[in-house]
Amino acid sequence: MLSAQIFAVIIFVAMFLMIVLDKIERHIVTLGCGLLTLIVVFGICMRNGKAVWDTLALGNFIKSDFWYQVTESESKGINWATIIFIAGMMVMVEGMAKAGFFRWLCMKIAFLVKCRTIPIFITFMLMSAILSMFIDSITVILFLAAVTIELAQLLKFNPVPMILSEIFCANLGGSATMCGDPPNIIVGTSLGFSFFDFLSNTGVCAGICLIFTIIFFYLVFKKELAPKENETIDMSKLPSPSSAITNKKDFIISSVIFGLAVILLVTHSMTHLTVATIGLFIAVITLVTAGKNALELIKKVDYKTVLFFIGLFVVVGGLEETGILEYIADFIGDISGGNAHVMIAIILWVSAVASAFVDNIPFAATMVPVIQSLAVSTGVPIDTLAWTLSIGTDIGGSATPIGASANVVGTSVAAKNGYPVSWGKYCAKLAPATVIVLAISTAYIFMRYL
Amino acid sequence: MSQIIISVGREFGSGGRVIAEELAKRFELPIYDRHLITEIANKTGMTASEIEKLDEAPKSRLTSRRVRGFSNSIEDNIAEMQFNFIRKKAESGESFVVVGRCSESKLRDFDCLCSLFIIGDMESKIKRIMKLYEMNERDAENFIEQKDKKRKRYHNYHVKLHWGDSRLYDLTVNSSRLGIEKTIDYLEDYIKARMAG
Repeated sequence: MLSAQIFAVIIFVAMFLMIVLDKIERHIVTLGCGLLTLIVVFGICMRNGKAVWDTLALGNFIKSDFWYQVTESESKGINWATIIFIAGMMVMVEGMAKAGFFRWLCMKIAFLVKCRTIPIFITFMLMSAILSMFIDSITVILFLAAVTIELAQLLKFNPVPMILSEIFCANLGGSATMCGDPPNIIVGTSLGFSFFDFLSNTGVCAGICLIFTIIFFYLVFKKELAPKENETIDMSKLPSPSSAITNKKDFIISSVIFGLAVILLVTHSMTHLTVATIGLFIAVITLVTAGKNALELIKKVDYKTVLFFIGLFVVVGGLEETGILEYIADFIGDISGGNAHVMIAIILWVSAVASAFVDNIPFAATMVPVIQSLAVSTGVPIDTLAWTLSIGTDIGGSATPIGASANVVGTSVAAKNGYPVSWGKYCAKLAPATVIVLAISTAYIFMRYL
Repeated sequence: MSQIIISVGREFGSGGRVIAEELAKRFELPIYDRHLITEIANKTGMTASEIEKLDEAPKSRLTSRRVRGFSNSIEDNIAEMQFNFIRKKAESGESFVVVGRCSESKLRDFDCLCSLFIIGDMESKIKRIMKLYEMNERDAENFIEQKDKKRKRYHNYHVKLHWGDSRLYDLTVNSSRLGIEKTIDYLEDYIKARMAG
């Protein structure tokens, strides 16, 4: 077993380093390391065919509770529910983008607030947070940042403060729901939580933090965004929201599908449909209604992310099967001396700091079995640990330009349009905001759960 | 040939930039080298000297990340802006000379591309740099190595084949053999032959 543990750790550390160094595409890294885990750790060292089968988790597809779940259950190995849900939502989002939904929504809101800078600033932050509760933050920021730059050029303001605030709110909004951020989907599907469980726990926390966030960014950026005196806005020069719609029929269909996805997610604890079923259903309905454009939508799906997840779950499965994650859990239990407050603070702040510098997805996938062991060994409820892990990984990612995907995409869109954002410029405003929100979240968890 | 694009890659100190400038003069073509820096400076609001520091510079792997083709690295974004700039110029049918910027690979699909790589003997490169930058021999050698290392990392990050790999270029010339003037003459003849063909 010792050799299996050593190899599992070497493979995991090598995978993490290669992801950070970004020399080889990350899906190739995780798939390669996943294959090594299956061959070296499970095959050569453990000679355990059952571990391979458990980690591949292919049997899940024929289990009824994978698609229709009456009682909560925990999953092991490759988290296919996460993968199917993410792929399904990707198909839906491609359909919405093609129809012009996101651009229309951004322009519509800008027009509703009469294109005044400060109201745009506040409504775009809210929109970023709300959309990110249901859609991946990359797509949200891609469209919001592009429209923000377009408006900035027409209305003559600096778009960087607005884009930075949108990025922060997208990450915050993502923490509110089970489908908002990949770590939450992993936590939710692995531990059997529902959309509503997240909304009533991390969602409440995110809502409180959003109020403080908007006030903080308003105070920090109001000077930069203040309209010049006697400046009037000629709205006739701006492109109308309806011009964003590429095809009216597709626009209506994609809006209905999005609404349906939201309803299915919000009610899935009542309908007992799992996120895997919802993801598959939404993808199928999008493709059927897309007709001859279906192939184009499938081609646009980011299959590399899907492959990245598959490899990642296998590598983490290696750590899990060899008992390494239990050692980590014991270590956290020991240094906290069994004190739940210390344990929660460690999980929240360590998750946040780690997520500020490394991809939060592998971190969350690794930490889920750790908190499961911790819950068993220390008696702290698993749901408290789960909300702590989700909040830490989701919020911590906002602190640096590389902490979360939305940050990379937002700063890149800004730079490509002539507004480069350095590490200094980014961290000067968003790192303090992250610390404030983490402090509020710590207080929230202490007061509500301990 | 109605359009010609001359791409000049170069080792530091080989006289590649001077050769590119002279070829541009002889063929009466615009040259994109420092001009690209000014262009990006106008677009980004950064100063030319700020951009110069990041120009043809490799990104730091530890402080940057790439997501679905987007990168937070300013170096990456400046490089991409330059690639887009030369590509748009090429697509517009314009003839020009471009120095570095992975142009031999980024414009590879243009039949009118004539890609050159200028190398030089270390001894002659050191002499040239000592004279140009008023440096002693040791500093000049270090400076050349540093600059070439930076160009190599930048190139190899953005392009699959390695910087200086002869398969990337139509012609690789050692400017120390004929001297800079005669190398220019030689290249002029080659380009004329290409244009005629």
